[in-house]
This record gives sequence, C-alpha cells and structure tokens, in this order.
Amino acid sequence: MPKWNALLFAIVGVTLAAVPSFAHHSFAAEYDSKSITLTGVITKVEWTNPHIYFYIDVKDANGNVENWAVEGYPPNTLKRTGFSKDDLKIGDTVTVTAYRAKDATNRVAGREITFPGGGKKFAGPAAAPTY
Amino acid sequence: MKVTLLVAAFAALASAQSIKRAADGKPDLSGVWQSGGVSLYGEPGIAKAPPAPVNPPPKREPLPYQPWAAEKSKTFTPVDDPTLRCLLPGIPRITSMPMPFEIVQTPKEVVIAYESFHAFRIIPISAKLEHPNDLVPTWMGDSVARWDGDTLVIDVTGFNDKTWLSGTGSFHSEDLHVVERFQLNTDDTITYTATVTDPKVLTKTWVTGAVLRRPPNTRVEEYECIENNQDAPHMEKAQNKAK
Repeated sequence: MPKWNALLFAIVGVTLAAVPSFAHHSFAAEYDSKSITLTGVITKVEWTNPHIYFYIDVKDANGNVENWAVEGYPPNTLKRTGFSKDDLKIGDTVTVTAYRAKDATNRVAGREITFPGGGKKFAGPAAAPTY
Repeated sequence: MKVTLLVAAFAALASAQSIKRAADGKPDLSGVWQSGGVSLYGEPGIAKAPPAPVNPPPKREPLPYQPWAAEKSKTFTPVDDPTLRCLLPGIPRITSMPMPFEIVQTPKEVVIAYESFHAFRIIPISAKLEHPNDLVPTWMGDSVARWDGDTLVIDVTGFNDKTWLSGTGSFHSEDLHVVERFQLNTDDTITYTATVTDPKVLTKTWVTGAVLRRPPNTRVEEYECIENNQDAPHMEKAQNKAK
C-alpha cells in the first residue's frame, strides 16, 4: 500500500466521526459490498437530494428488459467532484459498476459510470474504500 | 539566557502573526470549511492526501457509557439514525458531515451556516458565556462563545435527547453539554475539539475532534434533504428481510 494511502486513512479515519460514504445514511445497512456491473439505457434522471437517482433499462440474456434504479452522491458532491447533471442523458447507454440493494429489488448504489464516449466518472462511494 | 528568551519571544511572535487575523486582532475564522468527504479529500485511495495538519485534534476514544446506557445504545440500528430522516444532526456531529459550512465572524457574534440540513447557528460572543434563561430543548441547542486567547470557545447546552453524538446508537440525554474549541493554525487549518459531558449517560467527559480545511472553489449551497429521501423505507425493508 502506498504511503500516502496509509496517511489518508489515518487522517480521514481518525479525525472524522465516521467515514461517511453517504452523508445522511449508512451504506452498509442498505447495500451489498460486492459489486455488480449493469449496462443499460438511461430512462430517467432525478438530480435530487439527499441523493441523485437515475434509471436504466437493462436487457438480460433472454432479451427481457428490466428497469434498474441507480443511487448516487448528493448533487452538490457530484458537482464538486466534476460530475455534471448533463453527463446523464436520457437515451444514452452507460455501464455502471454498483452495489445491489439488500432488499433484492432492482436498485443499486452506483460507483463508476462509463459513458458512451468511454469516459468514466464516480457517481457514488466505494462500498469498501481501498485506502 | 537573554538571547534564548529573545529568540523564544520572536518565535512566539512569528507564530502568532502567521495566522490570518480580523480587524479586532482576533484570529479570523471566517470562510468556508469542511472536515471530510470526497468533495474535500477526493476519492479514497485515488486522491492525493493533504499534508498532515500541524496541530491534529486529540484521538477520539469510544463513548464512555454507563452500563445501562451501553446496553441501550446497542438496541439502535442505522434505521434509527435521525439524519436518515433528514433531521438535524446536533452538535458535535454536524461538524463531521461531509459538506461545507461557512463561518461569518464579527467582534460581537459568530454565525455558522451549514450546508448539511440547512442548519445555522447565531452565536453571541461574550466573556460571560450566559445562555438565555428561557431555553426549550432543541436539536442544535443554544450556543454562546468567548475568546480564550486565540481560541474561540463555544458553549452549547439546551439540547433535546433526539440527536446522536457520532455513530449508530450514540444517544445522549437532555443534560448534554458540549464545549467546542476552534483554533486557527499556521497551516490555515482549524483544529476543532468538542468536549462532551452528560452525567446522566456517560461515566466521564468524552472528547472528539476534527481537522477543518478550506475546500477549494466551494461555496455553501442548498441541500434540501427531504426532497427525494428514499433511503429510510429501503433500509427498513433490507433490515426486515435480514431478520
């Protein structure tokens, strides 16, 4: 592990009351820690607090289409980390690495989004941050 | 001996002068501050770590609960977290929220405007540290401040018993009393410490703290937490499924 990673852990881990992956709720109480990958077409975007949601139509191996909800950071956090509302365009096909909801519905906490042009941005926290 | 004293005096002077000061000579705490989160530090494991602070806060110990309180604390789950329902986090917890807040300072009062949960505190500065005598318990309590040398000390009381101090189940009583200290450092960080007493539930004083940094190119913006808050029902469903 690089030295600065250890340092970051020391600073973040010691000085904060928690390492808040989400500002207002516990990540682990809602989502799995194992990531899955979904590819689908964006059908709806909710640029809202306390978290953004966008929805994608995902086709399975049999051609059945299911709509999945992807939760992300709050809008201000995304804006400050360089993720714009305009990055999510209805009709675009995106690939999402994400953590599935523990209630087993079609809902995930989004981590890395790959956009049509190949660019990648983080939409939400890692379930198990690699400090 | 004289030379040593002179050198020490100059060093103290240089140190005292190298922090930003307001027109009244007090340390100038005004500006936007944040204690953590990806918008301050970047993504864990990817972002470059900030330099270590020159004046780190004391290491946080576990809450020293009385035995009955330790048992009660274990009965809570993340679903019971008041902030999950967008309720105010209380003090000192609000300082650790991963969102910025702005300090506005005048010789007579300090205002802290938090992005998280639209919280604000209007805090009179007076050496007397007198709270109003008509307090009704509230989420953020009542704050009064004084200067202790170069450290701003804020005394907070008048809390309800509905907030958490830090993590899951860290409840307290209405007897909660928090003394916060804001110390501006030469590396333009603030060392924040909160000394917490609550004789009804704790066996002794508990101290927590944080390093406050200035997030680059950041202003405090709106956070309307209840707009689309889907997490509480989702977490309840996940919890019931796990039972």
